[in-house]
Amino acid sequence: MNRREFIKRMAAASAITAAVAMFPGIVFAKEQMQNLPDGDILWKKSPCRFCGVGCGLKIGLQEGKAVAVKGDPESSVNKGLCCVKGYHSVMALYAKDRLTKPLVRKNGKLVETSMEEALDLVASKMQGTIDKHGKNAVSMYGSGQWTIPDGYVASKFMKGAIGTNNLEANARLCMASAVTGFLSSFGMDEPMGCYEDIDHADVFVLWGNNMAEMHPVLFSRMLDQRMQRKNVKIIDLATRTTRTSTASDRSILFKPQTDLAIANAICYEIINNGWMDTGFVKNHCTIKKGKTNIGYGLEDKFAFKDEAKGIDFEEFKEFLKDYKPEDIQELTGVSAKDIKYLAYLYGSPNQKVTSFWCMGMNQHTRGTWINNLVYNIHLLVGKISTPGNSPFSLTGQPSACGTVREVGTLTHKLPHGVVMNEKDRKMAAEIWKVPVENIQPKPSLHTVEMFRALDRGDVRFMWIQVTNPMVTMPKLKRYREAAQKDDRFIVVSDVYPTPTTDIADVVLPSAMWIEREGMYGNSERRTQHFDQLVDAPGESMSDTWQIIEVARRMGFEKLFPWTYDNHIEEIWKEYSLFHKGKKHGMVPLEVLKSEPGAQWPYVDGKSTKWRFHGKYDPACSKGDTYDFYGKPEGKAWIWARPYEPAPEEQDQEYPFLLNTGRVVEHWHTGSMTRRIPVLHQAVPNGYVELHPEDAKIMGVRNGEKVKLTSRRGEIELPASINERGKPVRGHVFVPFFDEGLLINELTLDAFCPISKQPDYKKCAIKVGKA
Amino acid sequence: MITMRKKRFFTIGIFIVLMISSIVILDVSLISGSEEAKLNFEKESFSPSIPTESGVFRRSEFAMDYENMPENERLARKLKDYYGNRAYPGAPPVIPHPLLSEKGIGGQSCLQCHENGGYVDQFKAYTPVTPHPEMINCRQCHVSPKTDELFRLTNWTKTEHPDVEDNAALEGSPPVIPHTLQMRENCLACHAGPAAPKEIKVTHALRINCRQCHVPVQDLTTLKIEWDSTDQFFRKPK
Repeated sequence: MNRREFIKRMAAASAITAAVAMFPGIVFAKEQMQNLPDGDILWKKSPCRFCGVGCGLKIGLQEGKAVAVKGDPESSVNKGLCCVKGYHSVMALYAKDRLTKPLVRKNGKLVETSMEEALDLVASKMQGTIDKHGKNAVSMYGSGQWTIPDGYVASKFMKGAIGTNNLEANARLCMASAVTGFLSSFGMDEPMGCYEDIDHADVFVLWGNNMAEMHPVLFSRMLDQRMQRKNVKIIDLATRTTRTSTASDRSILFKPQTDLAIANAICYEIINNGWMDTGFVKNHCTIKKGKTNIGYGLEDKFAFKDEAKGIDFEEFKEFLKDYKPEDIQELTGVSAKDIKYLAYLYGSPNQKVTSFWCMGMNQHTRGTWINNLVYNIHLLVGKISTPGNSPFSLTGQPSACGTVREVGTLTHKLPHGVVMNEKDRKMAAEIWKVPVENIQPKPSLHTVEMFRALDRGDVRFMWIQVTNPMVTMPKLKRYREAAQKDDRFIVVSDVYPTPTTDIADVVLPSAMWIEREGMYGNSERRTQHFDQLVDAPGESMSDTWQIIEVARRMGFEKLFPWTYDNHIEEIWKEYSLFHKGKKHGMVPLEVLKSEPGAQWPYVDGKSTKWRFHGKYDPACSKGDTYDFYGKPEGKAWIWARPYEPAPEEQDQEYPFLLNTGRVVEHWHTGSMTRRIPVLHQAVPNGYVELHPEDAKIMGVRNGEKVKLTSRRGEIELPASINERGKPVRGHVFVPFFDEGLLINELTLDAFCPISKQPDYKKCAIKVGKA
Repeated sequence: MITMRKKRFFTIGIFIVLMISSIVILDVSLISGSEEAKLNFEKESFSPSIPTESGVFRRSEFAMDYENMPENERLARKLKDYYGNRAYPGAPPVIPHPLLSEKGIGGQSCLQCHENGGYVDQFKAYTPVTPHPEMINCRQCHVSPKTDELFRLTNWTKTEHPDVEDNAALEGSPPVIPHTLQMRENCLACHAGPAAPKEIKVTHALRINCRQCHVPVQDLTTLKIEWDSTDQFFRKPK
């Protein structure tokens, strides 16, 4: 700021002071609401880079750099508050080892090259692999951190142009069970409610979700409500004592996997006590049962298809008889009294109940089932689709919903519908202007199977963008060795060196987040746009444009005709064609640009906050009542799903159970957050949480090295005793952010047979002093 | 006669041109007006949980105490430390002291000291007071460093903090507020009491209505102030 400018500002300031003095009560409302620039900082909006909450940020810009962050007070998501990751998010752009030039492996070493050459090589290798091994030998593995345009061009390129369904994204590892849960219960993906449910609910039940650390901004909104309204209760239903447990009104611990039995027991109690909303169930639900003993996907080429069979209410009641609260106490570790209390909270007619969950229920070998079962509870008592009554599945990535679920970057999906459906294929072919035969009618490989195929040699080429599978894949060793096999070609687009770029044959430097234009979609169906706010370093290029460049080199120029200046706008227009109509209408770009986001279905200039109820959702056709229009007759499905054990339980040899997860400071594999000094210094390395009694027996003190061994690998970590979290006896917890201490060497690649999502929360290990 | 006629035709001609042009102008503006209307959409409305004015008078009940508190230059916080705890001006400060417990969200433990402040013998310091004690998930934003080391070196450079010496317009006039107010609208939390760094400590905490005289620095462009050559300013109507 120069002197003249400073004097000008002073003058302005004193003008306001004068105005305030002359006209008492005058408030420069707009200016004060927005907290206009300090000095010469310019504030621009963007959604946060990190989790799926999708906080609105104001990014402070000065001399072409991002220098500060504050919460956007105009965003209805976070209303001006962020978490420590959000506040320091812009620092992730500026670590010294940022990838700014493409790298190509020559004689075993990654060497710098030009972008032209690198893109030529990617295109020719991809084409060469198709020519030699067929188009199902190439694959793309993306991310819930892909912007919507990234995912859209990836889908058009792989499914429309090349003609293979080998397109997956890391959201398979985090959200797939939520998707299959929604589809099997309601026929349409993503939550019916929204964050505003927090302002209406009286009771919050958190199913295996450490929200105080993983979704802190939403947790703070809950705490705020509890402070304002005395009747608000937060119940933490979890397998380990966390910050969330200490902040909640009641912490109930259960044995992993037995959430299935608990949910059924709650249903049993609800029906037995006459708390069921009989009218609702009769008019708006049908009851189904599926296959049982469905396996764990541990073997290659595992296949499973569920089959829904209608059952009547009496049969359902009969099914629930196995789940009397008194009978499952030993199995679940939860007293009958606690289960009855939970059932009462859900069943009591005067209380609005919102359930939250995230990885605890999704990373589960019966993930689809437990999602179904929590919907069952809400359906039985009719507490759904209205303000405050909400079964709410949270997400962990900024665009797991927006990109992976809505654009559909999964093997079976298309931007609208699924590849198995001829009508959906025709629609995609028409919009993409490709022959309908290009789009393969059979899903090919889901994530775990795609990496297994890489190992077997069925897949020879993989392009990985914005994700770090060499830290996150379960049973890591097999898949790392697969990627390193001869005659496998791996392309990695990323912003920093990671264990995944270590195994790459080509590394493409990406422009991240606000270095390019894009959109994210958060957990509550909210799409948020961000402009390019700063220059991307060196030769780095957005993932969208990398894909377009390679597609053009492979002869698909006509499908990607846009210029750099208009491509995001044109992609948004083309993509919006897929979702036209009242059930999924997307938000026009000019609205996205002027607002901190809006929610689909966007109908007549208005976001839809609650779906499936005529009062709030214009797509309903039954008047002022519920209409679950994703299913036949507008009826949601209640599912009879039993308890089945986890694939690997504790035994003599491996007497401990391993749980993995996150901490508030670090996000996913830490490739960004560890480069933010404040966050790294707060949690500098991975550790293993032990129960104090277990530690005592082993003679391990806080900070001492502990060796963990599973049937798949071993690792040494410092012990954390009585610190942030406390597992129950016989359990341990390890965060997965540390690339130097890879806990996924130990985890098991078992998955939910319906969703194909792996379970990172339970496997058997032994623990000893190192 | 002919000239008169010519004049009349000329006048009529001018009127016709004027009429046509006014019709065109009206049309264009009407059309553009309705086009604008087409772009209208319903803005989301909600009451922000952090209204900027919410905490202005908070802690004013302690104003008298602040006035009477003994000064202890040696134990007062230094402005350098105050800014040193922040990644950039306005960032949530890190926790510079060892914690009683890693458990919990902080509300119970942190606020015991940081709600009202006071002297802590263990740290030989006065406790800074939080401007937002209603937010109890403290450790959502405030973290405690366990190491000085970095994972990777960074090019991040901290922007300079606002100048506290010279931010009054005139000699002796009230200094302006050089920082945003979001989450720190409660002035006395930081600007009064024994924990306040000397440079930013107010000399007249009793006067309570701080923002009667101290206003946030505003962006000139939004106020449309332009300068004429005599260095006087006037406000241009929009």
